[in-house]
Formats: sequence, structure tokens, C-alpha cells
Amino acid sequence: MAKQYAFSVNIGKCTGCKACQIACKDKNNLPEGIRWRRVFQYEGGEWINQNGQMIPSNVYAYSVSAACMHCQNPVCTQVCPAAAMTKRDDGIVLIDQDKCIGCRYCSWACPYGAPQFNEDLGVMTKCNMCADLVDMGERPACVEACPYRALDFGPIEDVQKKYGKFAAPAPLPDPNITHPSVVYVANKSTKTSGDTSGQLKNLEEL
Amino acid sequence: MNTREWALLIFSILAQLAVGMMLVLMIVRTYAVRKLGEEKAAELTEMPFYIVVPIMVVAMVASLFHLGKVMHVIGAVPNLGTSWMSREVVFAVIFMILTAVFAFLQWRKIGSASLLVIIGWITAVVGLVLVYCMGMTYMLPAQPAWNSLATPVNFYLAALLLGVVGTAAALVAVYARIQKNAALDEFVKLTLQNLAITGIVLLGLEFLVLPLYLVFLSTQGTAAIHSLGSMFNVYSVVLAFRLILVFVGAGLLAAYLFRKASASGNEKMLANLAYSAFALVLLGEVLARFLFYATHYRIGI
Repeated sequence: MAKQYAFSVNIGKCTGCKACQIACKDKNNLPEGIRWRRVFQYEGGEWINQNGQMIPSNVYAYSVSAACMHCQNPVCTQVCPAAAMTKRDDGIVLIDQDKCIGCRYCSWACPYGAPQFNEDLGVMTKCNMCADLVDMGERPACVEACPYRALDFGPIEDVQKKYGKFAAPAPLPDPNITHPSVVYVANKSTKTSGDTSGQLKNLEEL
Repeated sequence: MNTREWALLIFSILAQLAVGMMLVLMIVRTYAVRKLGEEKAAELTEMPFYIVVPIMVVAMVASLFHLGKVMHVIGAVPNLGTSWMSREVVFAVIFMILTAVFAFLQWRKIGSASLLVIIGWITAVVGLVLVYCMGMTYMLPAQPAWNSLATPVNFYLAALLLGVVGTAAALVAVYARIQKNAALDEFVKLTLQNLAITGIVLLGLEFLVLPLYLVFLSTQGTAAIHSLGSMFNVYSVVLAFRLILVFVGAGLLAAYLFRKASASGNEKMLANLAYSAFALVLLGEVLARFLFYATHYRIGI
């Protein structure tokens, strides 16, 4: 298999502080409303009423930090009419903003909401895995910024060796569509894609 | 729905109207030549063929408004290998050019009648391929509300239906302005009658496809249920009007048109009916397309 970089996120370690999201915005100078990395707060369960007292039972909440998955089957590169989206030899999926015509077709096709439209530039933008830093042998800004060391990055074989192969925490979609280059370490609350017991609770932040 | 999706709505409706009219007009023309001879057939069908060109040009101009960078539009072509949108753009451009070539040859009387017929049929077939590409463009696994057979089927039904009522309206407009004779009277009445029957059949098919589609959607997971929910809550009025307009209003009109066309009815009444049928079907299709763009939800995040 060709080289493929991947992110990993340890859901058990993540507190949903969004330092990764802010580090990304800072590093990439993103305008208001554009978040290449987003933190999804997924909550569910219910409280039990026992003799007038509410007793917590199966209530759960966890955060899922997600950016572009630099998929092994990237639908964005396939649907882009301008061929502006390409996959590098190291697996990083990039948008050539000179080629992009701003039709937003990729944003319809990507189940991870990674390509986002920049109104000022008139083109799509998305996480480039801090390719400039990676090229210098450094790690992406989000990974560096995580105060809990919940995020990691590396060649997918190494990442999978360290953290396993789970890529389907709810509310993320079924990984079989695009084969994302990502690994999540589940905690005891983590539900699987397609779960309907919980809900996204921070919609206004996303 | 935002401005950019309105651009797509206008493009898709007008392009399908143009394709439908091109196809139906070629069929009408073929019969007209047989029944009325080359000269009278040309007199009746030339003007409607000219109308197809500006319809397609307006569609193409509208489509530009959904781009973030209009000047880069030529860049929408390179990914023909995998992108249905590239294919859609290419076939739309070829179709537009062919309609213009057809109109030009017809206008300047260049080439033989059979050459015109060949180009006309090629144009119609390219149009049908365009509608197929348009349907496939929306068949995205991440968009359950679009990713069903209903999308291409509805696009073809819209193209044929708009083509039928558009052609009927254009024919009565021409008919009022040309010198009549018994054979022409008979031909126009018969043609309108056939167009009305075809329209009713197509409306019936739409009436069949919609509930099947809604049932299918209910089995396609959370995002699809979300689409259904928004169709029946936020946009329930649009859905209701779409049904009323297309199935009751236009259906009745088509039936009425059929009845009037059968008897030697009032000519002006007939024209108004044809125009109204076109207006109602067009509005119905616009509402349907509005729902298409307004109620799609992506799976995932």
C-alpha cells in the first residue's frame, strides 16, 4: 500500500476543549464560520425517576474531534469537476485553489463536511493536514496543540498499530463509504456510527 | 435554499424544458412532414425550434451563478473520467451548440432537409444523454434524498412533460399566425390531442413515482428521515401545492384540452388552455425542484 498519513483521536482522553479547533484556525488563518477541525459533542441516555428522585443511569457524553479524513477512497477528488482535489503520494488530500471553481459539489459529496466554502475567496477550503509542517518533518498544529495528548498523527500503519482500527464513532458516518484515514480510541460511552440513542448537542458550534 | 441553489433550479428546469421540446418537436416535425409536406411542416415547427435556443442559453447563464468563481467556468471540464458534473457540463454545452447549429441551418436554409433532420435527432439524443448526466450528478451516497432511481426518473419525466406542454403552447402560438387549410387544422388538432394524452400519462407516472419515493426515503436512515420531516413540516405547503398543481390542476387542464381538441372547438379557448397547461406544469415542476434542493440532507457530520 502507498504511504498514507492518518490522524488518531483518543475519545477517552478528549475533554472537548477545542484547543485543536482553535490551533487549526490560528495556524491556517481561517475566517469566521470556517472550521477545518470541529469537535462534535455527542450525548444520550436518560435519568431514572425512583421515588421522586432522579437517579442517573445510562447518561453519557463524549466529544469527537474530526477534520478531513484524507480518505483512501476520497469522493471529493472523484466528483470535483475541475480536478482541483488531488491525493498526494503521502495520502494527504489537497485542494488546488487556482483550479477550484467554487461549485461546492464536493461539500455535497463528503460525508464528513470537510470541504468548506470560503465566501471571500469564492473557492472551497479544507484541512490539508498542515502539509507544509509535515513536509518539514513536523506534526499538524491540532496534534501539537492538544493539551491532553488525545490527538496523534503518523503513517496509518503506525497509527493503527498503536491505537487499533476503529473509525466509526457516532455521529460520524459509516466508514465504508470513503475509508477514512483515521483511528478513534473508543471509551466506554462511545457509540458506533448509525447509533440513534444520542444526539449532537453543540450544533450551534459546528 | 440559497442563491446558488436557485441558479441550479433555473438551470435544471430550463435545460430539461429545452431537451423535452427538442425531442417532442422532432417527433411532431417528422409527422408534419409526412402529413403536410415539407413547406407547411416547416412553417408550423420552425418558430418553436428557434425558442429552444434562448431557453438553453438562459439555462447555461443561470448555471454560472452557482459558481464561486465564474471566470473559472472552463475549469469545470477536466474530470470527465470520474465526475458526473464534468459530464453534465460537457453535454450541456454540446446540446446548446447543437440547438444553435440546428436553428442556424434552418434559418439560413443551409443543407438539405435530411441533413437538418439528422442534426435534429442527434441534438435530441444528446439532450437525453444530458438529462441522464444531470440525474447521475445527484446520485451521491452522502445524499440519501437524491441517491435513488427517483432522481433520474423524475428528471426524465420533467423533461418529457415540459417538452410536451411547451411544444403544445408553441404550436398553438404559431398556428394562430399562419395561413390555415383543412389538412393543417386536422393535423394541429390531432397533435394537440396526442400531446394532451401523453401529458396525462406522464402526470400519472409522476403521481406514481412520488409516493414510492417517499416510502423508499423512509427506509434510508436518519438523514433521509430528516428530509422527509422537512418535506412534511417546513415545506408541507410547497409539497401540497406541487401535488395540487401538477396532478389536479394540470391534469384537469390536459383532460379538458384533450376534450376541446377532439371537437372543433373555439380556437382562442384552445390556445389559452395550452398556455395555462404549460404555465401550471412549469410551476409544478419548479415547486418539485425547489423541494429537491431544499430538503436534501447529507449523512454524517
